[in-house]
Amino acid sequence: MNLPAKKTLPSRLKIALVEDQPKVRDNWCRLINSFPDLSCICACKSAEEALRVIPEVPPDVVLMDIFLPRMSGIECTARLKALLPRTQIVILTAMDDEELIFMALEAGADGYLLKRTKPEDLRTALLDVLTGGAPMTSEIARRVIASFRGKTPNRDTSLRLSTREEQILLLLTKGHSNKAIADKLELSVDTICHHLKHIFEKLHVSSRTEAAIRYLNLQNPGA
Amino acid sequence: MALLGVLLGSSPAAGAPAKDGNVVTNFPDSLAERGSYNFGDMGSWIWGAETRDRQTCRFWKAFEIPDGGKVLRARLRITGDNEYILYLDGFELGRDAEWRHLYEYDLTTILTPGRHILTVEGYNSFNEAGMILGLRIGLADGRVIAVKSDASWVVGADGVPGWERVPDWQKMSSPPASWPAATVIAACGAGPWAVSPWAVDIVPVLHREVIPFWKSGWFELTMLLVSATLLIITIYTLTQLGLRMKAQRLLQVERARIARDIHDDLGMRMTELVLQGEVVQSELPETSRQRLQLAQICEDARGALRAMDEVLWAINPRRDNLREFTTYVCKYAQTFLKTTAITCVLEVDPELPAQSFDLPLRRTLLLAVKESLNNAAKHSRATEVVLQIHLRAQDLVVAVLDNGRGFEPQFARSDRNGLTNLQQRMAELGGQCQIASAPGKGCRVELVMPLLSQRRHFWTSRWFKQLTAFWAQKKLPARPSPAQTPK
Repeated sequence: MNLPAKKTLPSRLKIALVEDQPKVRDNWCRLINSFPDLSCICACKSAEEALRVIPEVPPDVVLMDIFLPRMSGIECTARLKALLPRTQIVILTAMDDEELIFMALEAGADGYLLKRTKPEDLRTALLDVLTGGAPMTSEIARRVIASFRGKTPNRDTSLRLSTREEQILLLLTKGHSNKAIADKLELSVDTICHHLKHIFEKLHVSSRTEAAIRYLNLQNPGA
Repeated sequence: MALLGVLLGSSPAAGAPAKDGNVVTNFPDSLAERGSYNFGDMGSWIWGAETRDRQTCRFWKAFEIPDGGKVLRARLRITGDNEYILYLDGFELGRDAEWRHLYEYDLTTILTPGRHILTVEGYNSFNEAGMILGLRIGLADGRVIAVKSDASWVVGADGVPGWERVPDWQKMSSPPASWPAATVIAACGAGPWAVSPWAVDIVPVLHREVIPFWKSGWFELTMLLVSATLLIITIYTLTQLGLRMKAQRLLQVERARIARDIHDDLGMRMTELVLQGEVVQSELPETSRQRLQLAQICEDARGALRAMDEVLWAINPRRDNLREFTTYVCKYAQTFLKTTAITCVLEVDPELPAQSFDLPLRRTLLLAVKESLNNAAKHSRATEVVLQIHLRAQDLVVAVLDNGRGFEPQFARSDRNGLTNLQQRMAELGGQCQIASAPGKGCRVELVMPLLSQRRHFWTSRWFKQLTAFWAQKKLPARPSPAQTPK
């Protein structure tokens, strides 16, 4: 894991945005730029444009809308992740729908944000993603466990969950916070975050093929 | 037509079966042999007071076989000039139209102790008319009952004024007073008829047919009616079911459409507004009053979006199952308790099925859970709340436990206790809400919702429960209450 630590963060975090609505895109840009340590370096209006433009200006974080015309944000995430494995992708969603969020996480997203998140929380979340603290709710944890258990057992052992990782996930499903889990397992919160990051990476790799099939068929699951 | 001399003519071959299936016994011509045939049991030729052509005469006679008298043999011989129809107790035994033959019926198996009605319908084509009958019943105790055609019979004859027509006269248990006694035309072997018949036709033995009740007309009719009713009910029910299923499907489609509309239109626009508000806010100087007001507006709009999320969750038919419900309740509890100092612990059965869990049930249960969490957050001073969700038999059990200060349930102020209302709403859907608490012992709210019978059945209705409770009270002696039972 060669992730930039908090201390070594660049002065201004470079953010790319993928959003089809012009007004919303503009507002997001303005909002991001209103923070002294964030800057919106690129705003794309479609997944196709994002795949063409973003690799040329590698940003630190990509904010990705789910419902885009033609190619969905989830598919775009998977393709972009293949091109830029180091770039963090955060899914933007209007509704708090675990099913969609989990699909995005499987496709390679590193985190997700509700579109109505307060600007302060947005900033914290973006910084957290870079330090590996992708938020995981109990429901997502449950889905992650189910996803790993449902897979064929005769695969690469490095892609299986370690005992520790499973332990953390199980505690998450019981509703414990990262802090509470750290206390329980006598680990630091940073270590827990590190484990979570690792779990997501395993999830991406192991789900790539399966997810590819699923998100290609994804029309507009909507409401 | 009926002439004595005819009997002296040629006769059919002996023992040949007649065309109607009767066995015909030809009589020998010699007088000695004729004498061996006992005609002593025969009555006289009888008819109405007047004899006419094309005349029908109805003869009626009742007789009785004493109780306990077992019939060993009962033989009836009859003939009529020109035709007769013989009835016993209203049932036709046979008919024929050849006065030169004597017809013999074996009634051994059909005569039982008791009163019987013997009736004959005679018909005269023209000239002389008469009917002659002799019934001899031998009982096991040696007694003999003889019924003969004589003046003790009553008769209703066409063309004779004054007699009363009775419908179903063959069955009448007593004749009307207007029926006169029969007129004896001639003794057996006398008068215009021959001394001995040409032949005796032995009618095959008659048996009393026992008609089982399921073959009887009324039963068949009843069954037909019952089947028809059942068929109609089935068709009706199926139609109703089909209509309801269609209505349900339409409702689901409509619910999905409403959810999509709210999400795609209202939700998106509100989200945009919040974003715009935040942008405008961020571009105002830190200290301006408008900035604070905008922050408040954005916060309120977020609240509205959260409320909308819940509405969407409720109306979206995709959420009509147990797993979605569990997910939502867990998330709600975590989000809700995050704003308090209370730790939220989830204990959820990992094997919950994706069983359907309809809107009214899940909404009511969610409201109940919210109320319980709210109570815990407001009053309990707990540090930890446990949310348990698991299946028990066919019920979904959701329990909210806190480690707070607890209370004495019977002293809980009812106006502050929103659960009373929820208890009632849960009960309406067949569920239960139980609150267990004691001072210093925390509180446990258990919400039970049946999964299997989503509609309230008769046996789960309050009315039925009261009835069974009433019964139990009546039947069982007073039981010692749990407090009195020795430990």
